[in-house]
Amino acid sequence: MNPPSSLATFEQTALVLIPEFILLATAMAMMTASAFIRRPRRAWCAASAFALLAALMALTITVPSLLALRGQETDLYSAVALNDDLSFYARIVLVLTGLVVIALAHDEPADERAGEFFGALLMINAGAMLVATANELVFLFVGLELVSMPTYLLLYLSRRTRATQEAAIKYFLLSIFASGLLLYGLTFLYGAAGISNLKAIGFFFDKLPMPQAQLGLLAVVFVLAGLCFRVTAVPLHFYAPDVYQGSPMVVAALLSWVPKAVGFLAIVRVLTAVLAAKDGADPLLQKAIWLSWIIAAATMIWGNFVALLQDDLKRLLAYSSIAHAGYLMVGVTAAFANDRHGGGVYFGSESIFFYLVAYALMTLGLFGGLISLRFKDRAVETVDDLAGLGWTHPWSALGLSICLLSLSGIPPLAGFWGKFQIFASLLAAGQGDESGLYVVLAVIGMLSAAVGAYYYLRLVVVMYFRSSKEPIQVRGGWPIAAAVGACASLTVILGLFSSSLSSAAHAAAKSALPNPSVSGSQVATTPVPAAPAESAF
Amino acid sequence: MAILLTITVLLPLLGTLVLILTPKLEDEAARRVGLAFALVTLALTLILLLGFRSEVKGPQFSFIRDGRYGLAWLGRPDIRFALGLDGLSLWLFVLTSLLVITAIGASWMSIKEKVAAHFAFLLALETGLLGLFASLDVVLFYIFFEFTLIPLFFLIGLWGGPERRRAAVTFFLYTLAGSLLTLLGVIALVVVHYQYSRGHVLTFSIPELTNGLAAMQWKGWKSAGSWTSPQVLIFLLLFAGFAIKVPMFPFHTWLPLAHVEAPTAGSILLAGVLLKVGSYGLLRFNIGMTPLGAAALFPFLATLAVIGIIYGALAALAQTDVKRLVAFSSVSHMGFVVLGMFALNSTGLDGSSIQMLNHGLTTGALFACVGMIYERYHTRDLTKIGGLWNRLPLLAFFLILAALGSAAVPGLNGFVGEFPILVGTFERSRRAAVLGATGMILGACYLLWMVRKVIFGPLLEPMHSGEGALPVGEGAVSAGEGAVSAGDASTHATVPPVGWHEIAGLTPLMVLIVAIGVYPRPFLEQMGPAIARIDENVQTQRAEARTLAPAPPLKSGAMTPGARRAAAMSKGQSTAKGKGAAPKSAAPATRKQQTGQAGPSSPAAKPLEKRP
Repeated sequence: MNPPSSLATFEQTALVLIPEFILLATAMAMMTASAFIRRPRRAWCAASAFALLAALMALTITVPSLLALRGQETDLYSAVALNDDLSFYARIVLVLTGLVVIALAHDEPADERAGEFFGALLMINAGAMLVATANELVFLFVGLELVSMPTYLLLYLSRRTRATQEAAIKYFLLSIFASGLLLYGLTFLYGAAGISNLKAIGFFFDKLPMPQAQLGLLAVVFVLAGLCFRVTAVPLHFYAPDVYQGSPMVVAALLSWVPKAVGFLAIVRVLTAVLAAKDGADPLLQKAIWLSWIIAAATMIWGNFVALLQDDLKRLLAYSSIAHAGYLMVGVTAAFANDRHGGGVYFGSESIFFYLVAYALMTLGLFGGLISLRFKDRAVETVDDLAGLGWTHPWSALGLSICLLSLSGIPPLAGFWGKFQIFASLLAAGQGDESGLYVVLAVIGMLSAAVGAYYYLRLVVVMYFRSSKEPIQVRGGWPIAAAVGACASLTVILGLFSSSLSSAAHAAAKSALPNPSVSGSQVATTPVPAAPAESAF
Repeated sequence: MAILLTITVLLPLLGTLVLILTPKLEDEAARRVGLAFALVTLALTLILLLGFRSEVKGPQFSFIRDGRYGLAWLGRPDIRFALGLDGLSLWLFVLTSLLVITAIGASWMSIKEKVAAHFAFLLALETGLLGLFASLDVVLFYIFFEFTLIPLFFLIGLWGGPERRRAAVTFFLYTLAGSLLTLLGVIALVVVHYQYSRGHVLTFSIPELTNGLAAMQWKGWKSAGSWTSPQVLIFLLLFAGFAIKVPMFPFHTWLPLAHVEAPTAGSILLAGVLLKVGSYGLLRFNIGMTPLGAAALFPFLATLAVIGIIYGALAALAQTDVKRLVAFSSVSHMGFVVLGMFALNSTGLDGSSIQMLNHGLTTGALFACVGMIYERYHTRDLTKIGGLWNRLPLLAFFLILAALGSAAVPGLNGFVGEFPILVGTFERSRRAAVLGATGMILGACYLLWMVRKVIFGPLLEPMHSGEGALPVGEGAVSAGEGAVSAGDASTHATVPPVGWHEIAGLTPLMVLIVAIGVYPRPFLEQMGPAIARIDENVQTQRAEARTLAPAPPLKSGAMTPGARRAAAMSKGQSTAKGKGAAPKSAAPATRKQQTGQAGPSSPAAKPLEKRP
């Protein structure tokens, strides 16, 4: 089979990316128009919500039907953007959470900045979706930057105080630094394989001995370092508390969700899926496992323990998001350790995908609940501000409590299944001698989760077991109420019936593997894909 | 009957929803609704009890679809909604339904704020407990196990004593920390079963896992030589959560606090049923699935249990707060339960499993009595109350009977449990049995001492204002009791007599306390087959372990992490080198197959494979 022509590749890419184009076009139109016309922020908010809905329609209806109409099999080894199960799953989730974020933000920006604000939100969403589809190093990097740059804009747009400015500049500088690290790592990956297509790199790593094992290691270290910043994993987590505290609650909500999702999608696309083809005993893979092992353990311990000391809600949520990055890194460890047959119970990457959804629901629900609360003259800022909420505003408190209990992993909520899958995939990844390593990590994870339960529980205790001092108002109208309600009730529903999401995550994990034709644990032989090898050369 | 069991488990939860979602529910109506749901649940439980067939070994009342227990719930992996009862869980299930009635009776008048919420949480707790005992799926078990935390957390935190917030949080976190490790242990069991069993079956079903693990051909599983042997390691993971629940010394520190601060209903269910969750888990998982770990760790476990027995008893002797006294007596009595089961012989297991029921009955009753006293006098201080026989004879009767049952007086239920426990332990270790027996003597001491203080002697009642005991001089007490109590009575004309709700809650417990003591056979017969099965499994595996020559411990345990890494590296390099030379056909032999055959083969064989 001949490699497809550039035109064919372009056509295929353009078709796949229709939803992103919709979002980007709307965003650019909004940003341009906002310089000339004045509209209340409701209009901008509605426009961006419609753009997201259109993207959702495109994603579910237009793209699959157009691709089917085109009729050509996607050539994995030359495609730039893929429309596989993983990208479908991730993009759906990102669009839906984008709607939630817009609902949370609908009351936030001032009228004159609303056009830029919502435009930036759309761009971030589009960038995140690009990362989910990326099958090409450069393209992936473009997607990541498309997330970062509008984020700087968002942070600057809400500048009000010195603290906000400090947060913005801190995030800006560190983010650029992290992008540099990532790019450096990607060059090594390219250098080691000589090609920038991710599936092809995975294929090479599987079939050919690596000329310079050190190159692979450098690539892994730097890519992981660059992405650790996005997901707030130790040691590149330290900006999170300050930035969260300095920025408005909505932006903090966005920062705790989108960069994390993007970071882990990128880790799966660039690292675990690429290296998954290797035998578990491969020295490079061993080192990658150790690296993520250490990051996971450090992140979980640090995030959970330091969160105990926090009184400020945003700082507490920042450390909570660091801690959850730690659990997700456990999933990454398992994903590194999986070969293409997985652990038999769950793939490591599958558990990451599931956990991301659970995390999105509970974190955005929690942030949304907090956004809607306000005192007469000031915002709700510290833990003690929530005193007595359970009796003054039972529904808000119920939503918050569900999200908090889910975050601490109490069954039968979505967060429990997330943790269950992550740790099950970790234990199943170990075989024989190595398993001790994973058991130790799992024990560390469980103990720090127990520590972490304390600070979530503290909020519940304050809400229900104390009496309120100052009357709290619930504001934000129906969009926030609907968003929080949807998040909380989905947390419960997913806790009770997780199988459909779980199987979608499974399909996504399988499609991310280098050899999607090889399925599940029942296959014992590896069909060698001969044709793509030719085409790649 | 399967559908009936499911309804029984979920009915209280429906009651919770009714109570929470009905707006502006009157207090009196809320009580009635709560009681109605609990009574219907009890009635259904009794129907199940009557329908239980003693001769069946496996679980009963379960849906069976395609030869597997339960209904499909999560498709992949196959986690099922599987409920069923066997001899081990049947009576604990009944005990839960009974004690909820007692708890509702005890909180009938004493709860005055947020009544609907209180009964809602009680019913939610009931669903958690019923589901937990009836679960036939490990994950379902764990979900119910953790679910019980939430209602109890709120029960303690909202209606508890002055330190309630701290007590609720301590209780929640302590149990959560342990149970998360238990979750790891459970997952590890499933994974080990999947990786090493014949045919690589991925199952979460408790009966299937128990059988599959027992029949496992992997030598590593059948040896428990070192701390890192799989059975020992998984045993310890599982043990972490259950030992905290039981609670075993030194994990008992949450218990006195939680008990003292909890409202009466919470205490009754906590001591009566939740502690049994720990021992039930130990029996079902630790002994049922990792018996060799239990056998290997016997000295350690027996030491903890014996320390718990003696320490709990001594601490109980030192208390002046009745509730703390009963709480520490629980530590002591649960020590017996654990000691008996880890003796790993049929006598000990029999004794343990009936003692779980006994302890639930007697301690539940004791806490209910203490709650009744507290409700009337607002104190639990032993030095401030006395001679209640003169005031509340019915309460005195209940308290004495429960205390005697708890003190294992022959003819009452405690004896039926503790005697076989000691006999079973004696077979295994004389030292442990002898030391444990002192706990029985101490137990009689503190219980009778309490009864003497509270029930007998001159009537002594604290002021209602809560300023402390009446200013009754020592001399006055010894001089003329009649006068004092008469004077006393005039100030305490308001002490309400024992109400119908309290009598209704306690009478069934009293009947069972006497019934088990006088004629324990039907109870033992129902528990028998399930216990015999566990015992059989234990003895078979221990025999197998003995026939395996002194098995070498697993390699990973003996190596330091550094050495392990080095070994992994060298293994990696040699495979990498071998990759070119070795025929490619080796590669498709996936890891799964390696674990199936090569992995389980003795570690000594591995270096041979690596040689080019």
